Amino acid sequence: MKKARSIKKPGVNIDMTPLVDVIMLLLTFFMLVATFKAESTEAIEVQLPESVVTDTTKLPEKDIMTLTLTKAGDVFLDVDNYKVKEEVFGSSVGIGLYHPDSTSKSEYETTGGNINGKPFKRPVTILDKAGFEKTLNDLRRALKGQTDGKSDFRIVLKGDLDTNYGVVEDLMESFKATRNTRFALVTDVKSNKPE
Amino acid sequence: MAGGGFDAPESGGGLRKQKKYKKGKRIGVRIDMTPMVDVIMLLLTFFILTTTLNTPQIMQINLPKGDQEDKIKVDMGNVLYVRVSENGNAYFSSGLSDGSEAEPVKVEFNDMKSKIESLYNQNPNLLILLKFDRNMKYSKMIDILDEINRAEIEKRYSFMKMEDPDKEIVTKAGG
Repeated sequence: MKKARSIKKPGVNIDMTPLVDVIMLLLTFFMLVATFKAESTEAIEVQLPESVVTDTTKLPEKDIMTLTLTKAGDVFLDVDNYKVKEEVFGSSVGIGLYHPDSTSKSEYETTGGNINGKPFKRPVTILDKAGFEKTLNDLRRALKGQTDGKSDFRIVLKGDLDTNYGVVEDLMESFKATRNTRFALVTDVKSNKPE
Repeated sequence: MAGGGFDAPESGGGLRKQKKYKKGKRIGVRIDMTPMVDVIMLLLTFFILTTTLNTPQIMQINLPKGDQEDKIKVDMGNVLYVRVSENGNAYFSSGLSDGSEAEPVKVEFNDMKSKIESLYNQNPNLLILLKFDRNMKYSKMIDILDEINRAEIEKRYSFMKMEDPDKEIVTKAGG
């Protein structure tokens, strides 16, 4: 009895402190990365198309104007600068809605505020073609005004796989009309498939 | 001497306090970290799973400045029309120098890259004009741009509206 006890005792306590230290470090790292990503992605879920890596350009970190295209053809105009949004949309979490395709109806408007079948809570400003183009210019002017013309928005298009090309075509026309001739399409990295 | 009144009970309790302090030290030495580690591990796995989901990349596109005056004149002989129907079928037809264009040829998606490369080798001034049907899916557009970007050529392409005559050409060739 006595012997068994004395053998058991030394093996019982393991010092967990170094393990906890490392795990804490990892945890803080992932938390920081996660919050950073959550800021740039929107509440609107889209399924991005995939493309093979061709150029090494990654998304810029700030001053992004995001145009999210849903399946139904609704375009949501958002920027990552809340002061600019307050100036243009009247709310720091406001967002602009534009439905360019006249042959279909906006999902947001017909369902009374749903996007992809889920209710959307952020304040939405509904825009027509002229309003959309004006808002594009207003957003850029607001940012330039706040930063003394130092920064400018990069336009980023996040389209859903099933969006009709017509929506993109209409947007490109508006970009041309407002002299926003540079924009980027966001895609997911395609996993290497055999050719 | 009001102060003395306070002193007396304090010194009287001194011994008792010392004893208590010693006892407390003995009990509080080891803290069981296991529940904390459990929770942290749980959080860690959560954050790992949520962050590594996707890494988006971008495809840069430059549009021409939208002035009516500075329309670029191109030799029709350098033009390659890529028309894509509603169903996503691509038709290539090369422009001819006299302003007309060759018969559209249906090109399978997998052959697109090699076809573009061979056309570019024949004519390094190749300009690709993309005409997509409005009802085509956006993912198809990305696929085709991706194929053009992957082809080892000097990338020169622009978007054009698909007009009714283009639609007729496509439907005649098979839709």
